[in-house]
Amino acid sequence: DALLPAPQSISILSTNMKHFLTWSPVIVQGATVRYSVEFQGEYEREHANGSWIPISECSLTTATVCNITQDISATVAYKLRVRAELGATRSPWGTTKGFFNSTMTSLTPPLLRVVADGHHLLVELADMGPSFQFRVLYWKKGQEGRVQQKVMKEVNSVVHLDTMEAGAEYCVKAQTHVEAINRSSSFSPTQCVRAQGDKSMWLV
Amino acid sequence: SVAEIRAGFTAIKANIQSRDPIRSLSILSHPHSLHKVKSSDRCCITHHLFSFYVDKVFKHCRTEDSFVNRKISSIANSFLSLRRRLGQCHEQNNCVCGEESTEKFKQILANYEGLNVTSAAMKSLGELDILLDWMEKSH
Repeated sequence: DALLPAPQSISILSTNMKHFLTWSPVIVQGATVRYSVEFQGEYEREHANGSWIPISECSLTTATVCNITQDISATVAYKLRVRAELGATRSPWGTTKGFFNSTMTSLTPPLLRVVADGHHLLVELADMGPSFQFRVLYWKKGQEGRVQQKVMKEVNSVVHLDTMEAGAEYCVKAQTHVEAINRSSSFSPTQCVRAQGDKSMWLV
Repeated sequence: SVAEIRAGFTAIKANIQSRDPIRSLSILSHPHSLHKVKSSDRCCITHHLFSFYVDKVFKHCRTEDSFVNRKISSIANSFLSLRRRLGQCHEQNNCVCGEESTEKFKQILANYEGLNVTSAAMKSLGELDILLDWMEKSH
């Protein structure tokens, strides 16, 4: 086995609660090297004799990335390891340095589209999965001191935020919140739209 | 969270319960249902049960099925993180064990030790929805 080196540059890329293990390829001229990945949670380390659990989707894979999201489902410390395999030859395991916990995921601001539909202020948010809530802030331009908020647990359609005054401009921004790890993203850029109609009409 | 545990368990419930040949017995509900536990004893019973599953049950539930093993790992690790949160209540003495919960937990251990360890562990895992239902109803 010593002929096949362990994979190097093993790291975890985690964004918005989606976690991926990546590593550098092991190059053997004229041959297809395959890889197998295993994980170990705090439970396995502390209560199950340090056992490791294979991830079947990433067993004997030729890819150098593995989606570990399904298995890193608890907010505890995990370790991951990967080895190279060529026929019957197996490399030593390459293991992640330190631990990974889903609380370490990076959270990006939500994608949103703000629409003025006549006098109605609407917002559409991109779905990010069941772990995500959305906090939407909206206000009438010039009245930054009177910001209103709406918290949404699910986003499956356009949401009505407010009925706007004719001709007035309204602004909206949003952030995500993940209850399981008790963290929020930064806010999205502010988007402003103008309500239909002319203010002078109201003065008649 | 409990939702993660529920999702993990639902994915393997049929598989686990099919491995439990002794239908006439219950570990958690014999002779009395968890629903009879007084509200003052709930935190303590929950803390005891989490430790019961972490220390006694999960380690004897390894199967030949990789998918099932991964879901059991997910459940076990979620139990650990929930037990840690419950532990904070325990430390702040908000989790006092009354006589009733002590008796109830002794009964559960007696039910468990009345079977061989693998059958007892598989049965306990198969009864996880009883615990989850009770937790969601009472908390």
